[in-house]
Amino acid sequence: MAYGQVNADVIGTSVAGSNIGAGDASLMKNRIINGAMVIDQRNAGASVTIPATATTYTLDRYQAYASQASKFSIQQNAGSVTPPVGFSKYLGCTSLSAYTVGATETFLVGQAIEGFNTADLGWGTANAKTVTLSFQVYSSLTGTFGGAIQNSAQNRCYPFSYSIPTANTWTTISVTIAGDTSGTWIGATNGIGIYVYFSLGTGTSNSGTAGAWTGTSYISSATGATSVVGTNGATFYITGVQLEVGSSATGFEYVNYQTSLANCQRYYEKAYYAMTAAVAAATIHITTAYYRVTKRATPTIVYTTGEGTASTFQNYTESLAISGVPGGNQRIDGSFTSSAEL
Amino acid sequence: MYKLFNQSVEPCVIRTSDGAYIPFDEANTDYQAYLKWVAEGNTPLPAENT
Repeated sequence: MAYGQVNADVIGTSVAGSNIGAGDASLMKNRIINGAMVIDQRNAGASVTIPATATTYTLDRYQAYASQASKFSIQQNAGSVTPPVGFSKYLGCTSLSAYTVGATETFLVGQAIEGFNTADLGWGTANAKTVTLSFQVYSSLTGTFGGAIQNSAQNRCYPFSYSIPTANTWTTISVTIAGDTSGTWIGATNGIGIYVYFSLGTGTSNSGTAGAWTGTSYISSATGATSVVGTNGATFYITGVQLEVGSSATGFEYVNYQTSLANCQRYYEKAYYAMTAAVAAATIHITTAYYRVTKRATPTIVYTTGEGTASTFQNYTESLAISGVPGGNQRIDGSFTSSAEL
Repeated sequence: MYKLFNQSVEPCVIRTSDGAYIPFDEANTDYQAYLKWVAEGNTPLPAENT
């Protein structure tokens, strides 16, 4: 008996919202890491006030940028509202003042996706694939909001807009984006494949017409979009972020916790080292701390706690070799963070 | 502000604001920020143990 072939963009199930998308998708359907906002290694649920002009990492894989300091904060489950059905966590932004955004200023939160995870989209070629960005959003404000997709050089930008019609209510958003057939997209490397940004306030110089690619650099929102930082105490909460191949949003790809954590640890992790110097004389002692996940690049190291002195080290993408010269019987141990963020 | 550090087998620079050890890896975004800082005419502090 011969079997036929079913061609479909979306394969649905009898469960509402449960289906398989078009991107050969049962694994890595969602190119966003930590889309359900469950991982927060750096801050463990604490609030972070975003400083000026320095990319700040908040919940794992999410970065924030602000042209002016202290205009908004980010916290996992800020405000403690009930997350949307199917989710337990969200990324919460809170405006800390009523700030009028300058023409060239930008306030945003988003994620940089590694090129290895976007190369198959074929952007920058005639075979560029269409993608759909979907998410759940909740705000104290209503109106038209904005965001943008960008390439690594930020000179290919796709501003998008979406509507939040009801305040303080989770709203499901879906934005379909025809893949860019122009510009330079880095392909299968460990650099930035795609930026996905959600605007919290963008000036006119960095805003553009929604729904079309532009070669104007640094366009990070749609013209006329609502400014969250423009209202003191305004909230903008988001979760269930998914970027997938295809022209329609499919059910959110839930990832088990340990896999999601490991995915995040390619870019940031906390680790520990210890060595024993069981001799009285000063002698070089060496230990190696292996990262739980090989890093995207050689990471930046910050020692956070410890005893003794780790006087020298050698940093690899897989491990950190640490040397100490203790002057007697003692131990050298401590913890450190390793960051290889995009 | 940055300070050179010569006790690592692989070269790196210290970011003085948080004591971060930044490797000379062009794929590291902190190193990219350091290079931009240098290109703007800034000079890191010398290493302490030279």
